[in-house]
Amino acid sequence: MSRNPKCAEIVNEIPLYCYGEVSEETEERLESHLAGCADCRAELARHRSFLDLMDSRVNQESDMMLAACRNNLRAEIAREAENPMRAAWREGAWLEAIRRFARFQIPFRVPVGAVALVALGFFAARITPQRFGGIQAGVGDAMFSNVRSVEADPAGGGVRIAVDEVRRRVVTGSPRDAQIQELLVSAARDENNPGVRVESITILKDGADLESVRSALLDALTRDPNPGVRLKALDGLKAWAGNPTVRRSLAEVLLKDDNPAVRIQAIDLLTAHRDDSIVGVLQHVVQREDNDYVRTRTTRLLEEMGASVGTY
Amino acid sequence: MYAETLSTRIVATAPSMDEASLIRAAQKGDQDAFEHLVRSYDQSVLRIAMNLLRSPDEARDVYQETFLKVFRNLHSFRFDCTFHTWLYRIATNICLDHLRRRKVRREESAVAETSEGTVDRMARFEDSGPHSDPERQTWNRQLSSRISGALEELTPRERTVFELRHYEGLRLRAIGEILGTTEEAAKNCLFRATQKMRTSLESFA
Repeated sequence: MSRNPKCAEIVNEIPLYCYGEVSEETEERLESHLAGCADCRAELARHRSFLDLMDSRVNQESDMMLAACRNNLRAEIAREAENPMRAAWREGAWLEAIRRFARFQIPFRVPVGAVALVALGFFAARITPQRFGGIQAGVGDAMFSNVRSVEADPAGGGVRIAVDEVRRRVVTGSPRDAQIQELLVSAARDENNPGVRVESITILKDGADLESVRSALLDALTRDPNPGVRLKALDGLKAWAGNPTVRRSLAEVLLKDDNPAVRIQAIDLLTAHRDDSIVGVLQHVVQREDNDYVRTRTTRLLEEMGASVGTY
Repeated sequence: MYAETLSTRIVATAPSMDEASLIRAAQKGDQDAFEHLVRSYDQSVLRIAMNLLRSPDEARDVYQETFLKVFRNLHSFRFDCTFHTWLYRIATNICLDHLRRRKVRREESAVAETSEGTVDRMARFEDSGPHSDPERQTWNRQLSSRISGALEELTPRERTVFELRHYEGLRLRAIGEILGTTEEAAKNCLFRATQKMRTSLESFA
């Protein structure tokens, strides 16, 4: 490299010059210097060959990977769309909603505020102790009450009411704890709440070495209507892809699941272990699969197993 | 390809909407408009993530995290900057978090020393192209290993600036905006990155 101070200055500008990131003035100065300086021209050539070298790097992302990412994203968004409250809470959108509400016009805010105050008064009265004229103690923190019977109590001069109550109880413990697992397995089958199912499966998937947990994961994989839950269950079964029962369920998923992301994961797990007993299923998949990735993987797997792809 | 078919379908549902209209439609909950926006940029996001992190699993996570963040926060996008600057800011921040966490956890690097020399862990992934020329594959593997090794010598920020300028062709001004810094700082970062890369790859070149 040249020791000329002017050359040193020019050499420092070359990287940015090559990217077109110098001012017009610098560009002119640099080009006029380069015209008369062989050392700096050689340095420019070296830098350009470095940039060419960098350009020859192969990009790693593939169409298949992109398609899988898109499918996973779609499944996750569908899951969130089904349970927007949970997602909103997690992302702090509730804060934004409050901010937006605060920007509403005054005439709208006043009646809403008044209603809110009335509601507050109503609930405050319900939880106020008896001595302040509130409701009788005994209902406690019931989540839901259903009055079964009402009868007069002649002895006491009051009434006797039979009430069914559903109370919320918070249970904490290790995910390996038997009682917790029982609750999680039950929650994983809660048909009303996909959010609860996803959370339960996410926790359960680390305990798939237990048969009861594996069975819950398999159930979720083959029966849950939500693709997000099925993907989580698949994730939990990854380490068990060699287990015959799991493989049968994976084959069933390949044939029946309508979500390509789930089928992609299933074929990826199946290909991790060779097993001649699923050849028939794989041949069937090749015939009817409309997802390119799944079909290609299945074909390749059949070829590797030395099985016929087209006829059976 | 499945992706192309779906892409065609989505283009058909949003034939002549410009980006701002798509964003507004997506903000109102139009999922087709959102998917159209995703498809305009998702390949770049995945490429940046792959190139910065050199790990398909992490790149998939970054892809998912980025677009879920966009989905959840699109309502707060106020057109103060371009959509792609906003999106790249989210994506690069997530990548930078991954890189920083990796540094803290001292996770395995993208290149490994073996008896056959330095090997890029991604090389296995690269080999999956069925009809590639073997010599070309070997060259690409060696080059990828060297470039990965050189990139690992850069700081996460230098790496990101280099990736965005060299491979994504973004202007330094935009990169500064994305990274929440000045054009001048991005310029200095790029200069340092190219110097380090050149030094690392000198013998290979």
